[in-house]
Amino acid sequence: MFDNFLIRKDSLRNETDENGNVTGFMFAARNANYRGVYLSLHNGYYIKVDGVQYKRDVQTFEINGQKPRTFEEIKTAVWEHWDFDDEGIVHVKKPGGLTPGMHKIEFQQSVLAAYGYLPTDEEWVKNPPEPGTGAGSDKTKNIVTYELMLQE
Amino acid sequence: MGKIKRGVSLYSYQQAQFFKELDLEGQIREVGTNLFGADGIELLDEQGIRKYPNPPEEFFEKWHQWMADYHTTPVTMDVFCDVLQFRDHVMSYHECAQRLKSDIRLAKKLGFKNVRTLATTPVEIMIEALPVAEECDIRLGKEIHAPIPLNGQFVNEIVDYVDRTGTKHLGIVPDWGIFAFRPSEVTLDWYVRQGAKRESCDLVTQLCMDNYEGRSSELNDIDLSLYSAGNVESFFHRYLKHGDAPADLIPAFEKMEKLIQENVPGYTDIDFEVMGQALLLSRTKPEDLKPLMPYIVSIHGKFYNMSEIPGKSGQYQDIAIDYEGPIKVLKECGYEGYINSEYEGQRRFQDRGVEDLISEVDQVRKHQEMLKRLLEA
Repeated sequence: MFDNFLIRKDSLRNETDENGNVTGFMFAARNANYRGVYLSLHNGYYIKVDGVQYKRDVQTFEINGQKPRTFEEIKTAVWEHWDFDDEGIVHVKKPGGLTPGMHKIEFQQSVLAAYGYLPTDEEWVKNPPEPGTGAGSDKTKNIVTYELMLQE
Repeated sequence: MGKIKRGVSLYSYQQAQFFKELDLEGQIREVGTNLFGADGIELLDEQGIRKYPNPPEEFFEKWHQWMADYHTTPVTMDVFCDVLQFRDHVMSYHECAQRLKSDIRLAKKLGFKNVRTLATTPVEIMIEALPVAEECDIRLGKEIHAPIPLNGQFVNEIVDYVDRTGTKHLGIVPDWGIFAFRPSEVTLDWYVRQGAKRESCDLVTQLCMDNYEGRSSELNDIDLSLYSAGNVESFFHRYLKHGDAPADLIPAFEKMEKLIQENVPGYTDIDFEVMGQALLLSRTKPEDLKPLMPYIVSIHGKFYNMSEIPGKSGQYQDIAIDYEGPIKVLKECGYEGYINSEYEGQRRFQDRGVEDLISEVDQVRKHQEMLKRLLEA
């Protein structure tokens, strides 16, 4: 659900460190659900830009006024709530960033929310699913493609 | 004139909230102002309450002020339980009950009369939380959502417990989707835009209608009475992609696959998913409500798409769901609780641009027109 609106259209931009080096890119994302969830359930993203995949180990997530956190840190935010209204920022490490112009982004969010107990529960405690397999994305089952302009 | 009351689940306005067109106050104002006398508010805690589970004190003051200002009343609060919250272990029943107790206290503070749990919440969890519900005078109701039927285990175990103990604080919240007899036209149109064949849509509609009208019993031996619709859809999707599924679901999945393979030339994977829509129906009869009247806490008026009744200007219906039959039964049996509109068709318009989004406000107004008309008939 909200398939075409999970990434804010004008939010894709490069990021620069204090020395002026471009370290990666970022965009704003919403929770693909009709409600908020405990933040710990947020399991990362399937992100492919122009055919290149960026896995969870180069992703961080910024929400609730805190600095960007890795998904290993997010996992421990078991009492922090990601409210339905709130946009988070997905940061992706990529030295040099993205080139100016349009980019094709393939996107799927993984949030381990469900309607009660599931047969996959124990397995997902031990081995959280890889984002992009459809696991944890029951409201937007398919990978969604966005064409986005890199903002200045 | 019956005593059945009308309200709205704010679930209906999820898209307006997502796009910040209506905030919580705006949603409550719409219910109290534009729905010809509806006054009930149903709230999803994790949708509507900022800073859940511990909103600031000002929120409670504002909430009660809104109820007074817009002449609305809190009816049911819907709660959730994601059992992987702690990530290092699956929540125990005891931990789920602790969360439920805390949600009951929150509901009490907001003036709600009922708390709805998910259809898949084990009854043991509800029973563990029941003393808090009794102390707060909150009725705890398990949602009975398609494909779960009214005459299956999930309802029976609640009825048994209530009969045995005499508690007044446990029951069920039937979701009107259990009276759906075919997939909604907006769901099928959405699938066609995603690449499904119109033949598959016609095939699934035919199968459902044949079953509903007694020309076929093809669907009757399929038992998904212990699964929620969202989970069945996810499992079927994973089954199609990766071949694995809970063993008891596999025969039904295979049957849907086979129907497409044998009847739709040039099918692709998405055609199976269209056929899978047939698995989401409860095939519940209006009469099934009769023995359950004392246990009904409140009712979700689930609908997918309101369209004008041909030849009747200003009157609306949902062509996929029976409303007349169940309302007649509820009136005959003297039901005095709420039916709360729960609109779920908006997600079927979110695959295109903002200009193609549907107005939830308009859909709910049309649904309330229908409810009022049928209740007063």
